[in-house]
Amino acid sequence: MTPAISDALPTIGLAMLQVAGMLAVAPLLKAGIRRMKARLQNRQGPPLLQGYYDLAKLLGKEPVRSETASWVYAAGPRVYFAAAVAATMLVPVLIAAAPLEAAGGILLLVGTLALGRFALATAALDTGSPFGGMGASRDMTIAALAEPALMLGLFTSALAAGSLNLGGLVRNVLQHGATVHPADLLAFAGLFIIVIAETGRIPVDNPATHLELTMIHEAMVLEYAGPDLALVEWASALKELLYLTLLVDFFLPMGIATSASPGAIFVALLAWAGKVFLLAIAVTIAESTNAKLRLFRVPELVSISLGFAFLALAIRFL
Amino acid sequence: MTTSDVLILCAAGMLVSAYLMVGQNALFTTIRLYGLQALLLGIGSAVIAVSAARYELFVTAAVTVALKAVLIPWFLMRVIDRIGIHREIEPFLNVPASLLVCLGLTVVGYRVSTGFAESSQGVSHHLVGVALSMLLIGLFLMVTRKRAITQILALLTVENAVFLVAVGVTSGMPLVVELGIAFDVILAVLMLGILVRRIVDRFESMDISRLSKLKG
Repeated sequence: MTPAISDALPTIGLAMLQVAGMLAVAPLLKAGIRRMKARLQNRQGPPLLQGYYDLAKLLGKEPVRSETASWVYAAGPRVYFAAAVAATMLVPVLIAAAPLEAAGGILLLVGTLALGRFALATAALDTGSPFGGMGASRDMTIAALAEPALMLGLFTSALAAGSLNLGGLVRNVLQHGATVHPADLLAFAGLFIIVIAETGRIPVDNPATHLELTMIHEAMVLEYAGPDLALVEWASALKELLYLTLLVDFFLPMGIATSASPGAIFVALLAWAGKVFLLAIAVTIAESTNAKLRLFRVPELVSISLGFAFLALAIRFL
Repeated sequence: MTTSDVLILCAAGMLVSAYLMVGQNALFTTIRLYGLQALLLGIGSAVIAVSAARYELFVTAAVTVALKAVLIPWFLMRVIDRIGIHREIEPFLNVPASLLVCLGLTVVGYRVSTGFAESSQGVSHHLVGVALSMLLIGLFLMVTRKRAITQILALLTVENAVFLVAVGVTSGMPLVVELGIAFDVILAVLMLGILVRRIVDRFESMDISRLSKLKG
């Protein structure tokens, strides 16, 4: 075995481990938010393991595809899933270093997520059904505004750390201690709106209905069934967990492990779970207390977050 | 987390709430955002009371929270309920354009704040910057919003901004002055509330651009 490969092995192992863990937890987060929301509405809500049941059910079915669909249609969910998995490897979760941080930082992360979205949108257009096209065009409209806001928000933190590398960024915050700057809160507010918009939560999209006039993400994936749908659902859940992890990394990195000792990692696991849970509560409250916006109002909401991100960046310099 | 960190977070939260006021159109949400802003101001005052060991500021904080975070929002919501008006704001300028203007105003406010001698240190710099930005945003809101209630809220935002500087940079005015200001604010809100009802009675709308019809 050549030295280069044997050096890379632990890194690859770590990346695999992180992806496996995140994939395992992702359905739980989605079901957890659904259950908390149900509780706020005085309903019992689905069991916490519902996400896993759904995935098992969908994966056990045979895929049904339209006769007019080309390979693009079949490739869509796979690329979407792969992009989400690849993005997971670029983000530090428990240890203050991303498994594949040598590959790239913020720009690669945003680009990878955009690639997944592009694949899903083209796949939705492929069968020529009006719902797919409608969903794709709506999703792209929102993404066109949300993506620059996401980048600017992440850049605000990167500017303080002087590094675009996510692992380097977290390590910088840990080393210098968290110096609170008003820009942090502005960037956090902007990114929180982006997380809501990107994960299709209520002021932007309603994940619980198939009401054709209002849906965005659901319209895009309306024609998928069986394992294809399972891949889309799983990747969406993973993306949601990933976004919450990003918020945790950027604004509350305290508790993350700086060494690979089991004790530190255990503490980091508890801290990460607690912080993601708190953010999930915030998402639930935001979803329960707001009414869904009209579609033409959504760009206004996303432009608020773009404004926050701009402002955060500007205040950093002043 | 030190007290100055909490103070900066409160100030930044106030700026975020002022910005959200510009960014959305529901009247009730605007009032709630104002309440949140006042609550943050109260927390900020309490933090200064602890860190600067000026315990009379606790009274200021308590008055701020009770009056501005609870009483005034409740009163304004009641006024809206009573007159039963349409609950959306129709600004003269649409939301993205307003946001852009407020962005510029914030940058100006922050830039100007670096000119003060007090704002050379970290915390004061941010407090003055945030307060100046909020002042400008409040003035902008007052100019571009048609509804009388939003104009009251804009005025109160300006008042919050001035209060933030007074408490944050000079660590508080004498208690008598603060009580006087609190009394002034509540009187202003009451009178403006009555005025709003009169406007609605007269024009069956809260749109103050119709006031120009009164010309003889």
